[in-house]
Amino acid sequence: MFKIDQYAYANRLGAVHPAEKFAFAVVTMIVCIVFSSMLTSLAVILLMSFITVRRAGIPGRFYLKLLSIPLSFLVVSVVTIAFTVSRETYQFIYGFTVWNLHLGITARDLDVAVNLFFKSLGAVSCLYFLSLTTSMVEIMSVLKRIRVPLLFIELMGLVYRFVFVLMETAGQIHTAQSARWGYASFRNSYRSLGQLISNLFIKSYHRSQMLFTALLARCYTDELNVIEPGYPVSAKNVLMIVLVELALVAMSLFTGGGLFGGIYS
Amino acid sequence: MSGKICSMLAFVYLLTVMFVSPANAYAMHIMEGFLPVQWAVLWAVLSLPFLIAGVISIKRTLRDRPNLKMMLGLAGAFAFVLSALKLPSVTGSCSHPTGVGLGAVLFGPAAMSVLGCIVLIFQAILLAHGGLSTLGANTFSMAIVGPFVAYGVYKITQKLGAPFWLAVFLAAALGDLLTYVTTSFQLALAFPAEVGGFMASFIKFNTIFAVTQVPLAISEGLLTVVVFNVLAAYNSQELQELSVLSKEEVQI
Repeated sequence: MFKIDQYAYANRLGAVHPAEKFAFAVVTMIVCIVFSSMLTSLAVILLMSFITVRRAGIPGRFYLKLLSIPLSFLVVSVVTIAFTVSRETYQFIYGFTVWNLHLGITARDLDVAVNLFFKSLGAVSCLYFLSLTTSMVEIMSVLKRIRVPLLFIELMGLVYRFVFVLMETAGQIHTAQSARWGYASFRNSYRSLGQLISNLFIKSYHRSQMLFTALLARCYTDELNVIEPGYPVSAKNVLMIVLVELALVAMSLFTGGGLFGGIYS
Repeated sequence: MSGKICSMLAFVYLLTVMFVSPANAYAMHIMEGFLPVQWAVLWAVLSLPFLIAGVISIKRTLRDRPNLKMMLGLAGAFAFVLSALKLPSVTGSCSHPTGVGLGAVLFGPAAMSVLGCIVLIFQAILLAHGGLSTLGANTFSMAIVGPFVAYGVYKITQKLGAPFWLAVFLAAALGDLLTYVTTSFQLALAFPAEVGGFMASFIKFNTIFAVTQVPLAISEGLLTVVVFNVLAAYNSQELQELSVLSKEEVQI
């Protein structure tokens, strides 16, 4: 149902300890955001996409398609930041006038916008590494280890299990409705979608009651415990992660990235 | 620059904004890595007390009614599926409902802050929408401001004697609108314009995102009314168990 979830279970890094993958993605992301220099961002993008495509074996075309998802938000926001709107003319490096308003780009804003574009893509590549190599169940086991409240994780687990069931139900209802012209007109589609949602809600309500009854019958109190598969901690991987992060930090400092994002962003 | 080329460029820009964004008009989340460190941390710190209060309040409710835990888990999954549905928008394109208003009225704002945060994590990891570094900021706008506004509006309009459908419509639409204004606020704080500073930037972001977010708020308001009408007509008993409807309303 979700391609990302599918790859998270069937990639070549599946046997690696989830904490290692989690730490690698998160630390790299922090480095990328904290230094916020162009060179660091480019290095992170290249490193992460190389590992995701080459080591984990995610198809390149799918990876590119995934990268294009946040592009609409990114392009709109970056362009919004780059352009300045004012009534007076200003020292624009490029600008024009519409009606009485002056639109233009200042050197500083352009700098911020371009830097931001690459920084965001860098962070996104870290997120994709995590979500394409580590399944939700593994992520939850890592969260449990870093002491996120048990109730929160348990709710996460319940949500994860039921997303697929509800998704399928919603899809079936939608198909049935479309086959009966449920989405043929604007008015119809509102009515159909309203019915779909309220039905889905009632279905989930009853399902939750049934689940509780079933669990009670099996002596359920307070929490659901499952045995986690054991993963070997690989010293080689830990060393690699430390070395790569140190190299990234050294490179950022050396090229004048500056801690906390230089002057502007 | 000659005037003709300029106005043409402005036109092209407007077209891109019109067509690039509605093509994928999810509820507006700030994407991964977009906020500078200090802002990302600040919003996470601001969201944390609400999440802790939410977890504590859920725990307290669970002590009396343990069957509600399953209910909350399914409610979270329901909110996630809702955000993946396509909603025919007033402008003719498609957008995605946020479920903020619906959830706030059904489950209350405290529970929604926790569920909203969980849904945002799933959206980031399963749908590549939103992000982990911006989780704090997104939680604040979508899981805290949105539900609290929706719930407040719902309660106030009901107290003023407005009909049920109007209260639901206003709660869902205003919850959506305030969510997007908060996001613009967060973006403007992080990226003030060189000319005009924070205010100029705030207005800029608001205008750009209004193109997609205002129609979405209206559509979601309408949809939520339809949903509640169906629920009230066929499932008043369940609504009563959730104590959304008082006895008199069911009889009408």
